[in-house]
Amino acid sequence: MTPDLLIQSTIIGLSIGSIYILMALGLTLMFGMMHIINFAHGAIYMLGAFAVYYIFSQWGAPYFAAFVLAMLLLGTFGYLVERSIYRPIKGGIEPTLVALLALTTFLQAAGYPVFGQLDKHVPPVFQGTRNVLGVMISVERLMIIPMAGALVVGLYLFINKTKMGAAMRAIEQDKEAAALQGVNVHVVNGLAFAIGFALAAASGALMAPIFKLDPMMGEQPLLKAFIIIILGGLGSIPGAILGGLMLGLIDSIVATALGAEPAFLLSFVFIILLLLFKPTGLFGYAPP
Amino acid sequence: MRRLRVGVLIVLVLLMLLVPQLGGDYYVHVFALVFTNVILAASLRPSLTCGQLNIGHSAFMSVGAYASALLAKNLAVPFEVSMLCGALLAAVVGLAIGYPSLRLRGVYFAMVTVAFVEVIRLIAQLWVSLTRGMSGLSGIPKPHLLGVTLATKASQYYLALFLMLLTLLILWKLESSRLGLIWKSIGMADNLAQSLGVNIANHKLLAFMLGCFFAGVAGAFYAHFIRFLFPPEFGFLMATNILVYNYVGGRGHFAGPIVGAAFLSLLSEPFRGSAYETIFFSIAMLLTILFLPGGLITLPGKLAELRWWKSASAHSPSPAA
Repeated sequence: MTPDLLIQSTIIGLSIGSIYILMALGLTLMFGMMHIINFAHGAIYMLGAFAVYYIFSQWGAPYFAAFVLAMLLLGTFGYLVERSIYRPIKGGIEPTLVALLALTTFLQAAGYPVFGQLDKHVPPVFQGTRNVLGVMISVERLMIIPMAGALVVGLYLFINKTKMGAAMRAIEQDKEAAALQGVNVHVVNGLAFAIGFALAAASGALMAPIFKLDPMMGEQPLLKAFIIIILGGLGSIPGAILGGLMLGLIDSIVATALGAEPAFLLSFVFIILLLLFKPTGLFGYAPP
Repeated sequence: MRRLRVGVLIVLVLLMLLVPQLGGDYYVHVFALVFTNVILAASLRPSLTCGQLNIGHSAFMSVGAYASALLAKNLAVPFEVSMLCGALLAAVVGLAIGYPSLRLRGVYFAMVTVAFVEVIRLIAQLWVSLTRGMSGLSGIPKPHLLGVTLATKASQYYLALFLMLLTLLILWKLESSRLGLIWKSIGMADNLAQSLGVNIANHKLLAFMLGCFFAGVAGAFYAHFIRFLFPPEFGFLMATNILVYNYVGGRGHFAGPIVGAAFLSLLSEPFRGSAYETIFFSIAMLLTILFLPGGLITLPGKLAELRWWKSASAHSPSPAA
């Protein structure tokens, strides 16, 4: 591998990594508060991409409006899922997981008759390439990094600086005690669903101009996000960020050298070994 | 009551024995696949009883199917040996996946099994020299059992029936033994079970490997019955379907997965293979979880309760009187 190719795949890896981070952050946030894994995350990623397809490339709205609208729409959907699926099950973890799984297969299967059998394409939003450290990178891919970064910083500020964020952290530590202090656990859980879904939609919306769109497109990012949160430790937000960056780089560099499928197989073998020897994740985060 | 149940069971088995005589090849084919689904659903049950959500059961079916098919095709191994080898390999693979992930919280296990479906699919797809990859593995011999080749669909149907009944008998005996009680205790309160001296990690692993073994059996039969294997067939969708059978049928009783698998596979037969099959399955699953958490097997009890409640309220004097 030449140095140029290495630099190029590192930068591409950073941009893929920031998508993975957005996916993994929502998953880990929801796990930390409710101890559930949102299996529907991949399907929401897909819906986010399709929202951009319709709003931006079919109806002609500006890309940023489509991006924000996709997040708002799917965030609302997340709140409704909390109301209609999570809340009626009353905290049963296993039934919730199975219901979310059913929601996923429903959204994916319904995608074919609704969106059509053919792959969809979103036209490029940012044209041209830019010279970074002597290699040419498309602006499309470069722009993912600051946009995802802004969302991560926004989430960090929200969780650490606002009252709602404090309520979320309180629920993560002790749900009953938080409820006794007057935190409305239902509303805050609903908010966590909304944030998780909105972040997944944002990842899909960012990736829409780069990849082709089909109803199964969320499967791979979901599995990648699983690997990341196992790497970083379930429920750990710094773990999700570091794990996402690592997997993005591994994915891009190994995939450039060996191909995408061997890269996935390698990362799976890696997490099995990790679970064997360091089950709390790379950064030693003990799950609550 | 017990005598009634045994009677119903005998009548059902007799009816199943008569299917090839009464219906044509189409019904034979459909029912043989239903029996495979019943094996798959019932073999997921031990793991679920322990409270472990295995969302990758189709991967172990795939291992059994490919192993048995390749042994029979390339080395002319008879079906009874190739099936056992396939099932054992599936159990060993289950050990390799289950040992690291079952010691942790259930969600780790669930995530690892989901990812494992993709791993097995990719291996089957990429190892072209062995599995023929995406061209699919064809030319798998018909089941050759005890020196006889089962050439007709009807004889293969009886093989499926025999395998299903044997699997169900073994799983039923295990579940009604002390082992089944241990599984149930782990599923209800694993801390308590552990404090009473149950080695929960080993029992979870054992239940999981048992399931993988029988998934391998189902896979081996499927391979020699359909005689064509295609990697994406054993994907995420099939894995969730097996889970759906268990939930829609009901988790509380051994009959649950059997009822679920038979009911859903027969009901979805008109749109098998289309997107509507998955839509139907996922809606059935969501409705069951939200409105009938005990599954279909609790339906007769609920209806009886309703009737009892109605007649009771009709006989008792109303408060206004």
